[in-house]
Amino acid sequence: MKPRKVEAAARHFLLCAASLVVLVPIAYVVIASFKTLPDFFANPYGFPEEWAWQNYVEAWKQARIATTLTNSVIVTAASVLASTFLAALIGYGLARKDKPLALALYTLFISGMLVPVQMIVLPLFVVLRELGVLGTHLALILPYTALGLPMGVLILTPLIATLPRDLADAARIDGAGEWQIFRRVVLPMLRPGLASVMILNGVWMWNEFFIPLVLAFRPSTQTLPVGIMSFVGTYSTEWGLIFASVVMATAPAVIAYVAMSRQFVAGLTAGAVKG
Amino acid sequence: MRPRSRFSRRYGHLWFVLPGLVVFATFLIYPMAKAFQLSFIDWSGLGASNGFVGLANYREALTSPALYLAAWHNVILFVAILIIQHTLGLFLAVQLNARPRFMEVYRTILFLPVILSLVATGFIWTLMLSPNIGILNPLLEAVGLGFLAGSWLDDPRFALACIVVVQAWNHIGWAVVLYLSGLQNVPQELREAAQIDGANAWQRFWAVVFPLLAPSFTALTVITFIQNIRVFDVVYVLTGPVGAPAGRTDVLGTLVYRTAFGAAGATTADVRLSYAVTLAVIMFVAMLVCISLLVRVLRRREIEA
Repeated sequence: MKPRKVEAAARHFLLCAASLVVLVPIAYVVIASFKTLPDFFANPYGFPEEWAWQNYVEAWKQARIATTLTNSVIVTAASVLASTFLAALIGYGLARKDKPLALALYTLFISGMLVPVQMIVLPLFVVLRELGVLGTHLALILPYTALGLPMGVLILTPLIATLPRDLADAARIDGAGEWQIFRRVVLPMLRPGLASVMILNGVWMWNEFFIPLVLAFRPSTQTLPVGIMSFVGTYSTEWGLIFASVVMATAPAVIAYVAMSRQFVAGLTAGAVKG
Repeated sequence: MRPRSRFSRRYGHLWFVLPGLVVFATFLIYPMAKAFQLSFIDWSGLGASNGFVGLANYREALTSPALYLAAWHNVILFVAILIIQHTLGLFLAVQLNARPRFMEVYRTILFLPVILSLVATGFIWTLMLSPNIGILNPLLEAVGLGFLAGSWLDDPRFALACIVVVQAWNHIGWAVVLYLSGLQNVPQELREAAQIDGANAWQRFWAVVFPLLAPSFTALTVITFIQNIRVFDVVYVLTGPVGAPAGRTDVLGTLVYRTAFGAAGATTADVRLSYAVTLAVIMFVAMLVCISLLVRVLRRREIEA
């Protein structure tokens, strides 16, 4: 039994080392966020002499976290819900591949995944200006919703296709319309798939940087990552404030992840294996 | 049962597709078509366009060294990350699959960077690598490698390697969970059968288990490709929109951004929207070709396995 114990110890050693490589930089940023500027130079590597909570108060105000956090929540929530709902509708419409156009439309939606945002973001600017939504939350919600569809359709369509048909058929005999079947029979059975799509799209929408950098140029509509970046541009030497704002911007996603890590991992993996 | 017309029986399902299709067409397909159109005109983005110029933008882009240099950096990033994912990532997944105690804790930690935004990741590593307040340099001094210490991100020799490290740190969680889910699908009987046939642990892994991981291998390779060709945030945060120092970390993402919106030190003559769109179109077409080749090769490998 001895060699097995050695093997287990070695395994723990390796996994702990890998975990430290992940955790040390994060912990170091959290510690740095409590330092005053002189503290950075007097005591760069240790804990702060005095924990500067006022960094958080200052950063909250200066980096306009209240505004950008609200914007991030509104934009992510609206886009995730709209995108997932539309993808479920599409999935229901295309689940039977023998129907006319079903396969062609399915392929069309899926290939949207390959489009680089760099290519469409500049024309999008023009489109959104013509629609008069530039400078509002819709300028982000509408593109996010469209860009979330490929992943949603990819995950949900095959799931809907494998749902048992007899339930829907029974409802149909009872006189239910297609819409009622979708809402009362299909949607409830689709819950795990919907959760996967919401997590997968929610994570990238929350973290997306390039699209809001271009499309949400007005300070009042900036989301967290862009808000932090423009804050850093103006206060490039206030390290304590910068890291306090980074910690505040990151905390919501990390808390949600730690609370539901199993769902996150399952949801994100489901999407990646399909893709 | 309500009577349904022949038309609705045949095309009724398309009503469900319509709302999504309208959104998709307006905000994805139309901008794409518009991008192709813009690539044939000369327009700075402000004021009037100078009109149709045919393939001039493409001719200029395809003969510009900046495009090839940026693309080359993307390729280096992709290959480096690919190697790290398929070795270190696979190795960590195998360790987790042995189901040590606290396995869930380890997995949660190793996947954590995937949840962090690349902007946050960029700041975390700006701090780590900083010559003034970072901890990498003192760490090197502590283990007697003090002569290696330097200002990593400003050093043309190391800047791109730094981007690789940061990108790998952020993405290794993908490799771990994708390989782990693949490993958990390998039937235990297969390993036992191989063991009875006298295969040692090493042979069992490479001859029996690894071929069954082909779907994980494919998924990981494809997402690594997409992530590293599209990369922008990490580079933008760590070394800025000009790919400092001396363009050593310039990638396609920063090149397109800089051409469209300018950067510190750029003049208005450098900002050319339609040329930036042309670069992005070239990027898209190249990605499309590479991905379809990649998927074809990898799927064949899956079938053979």
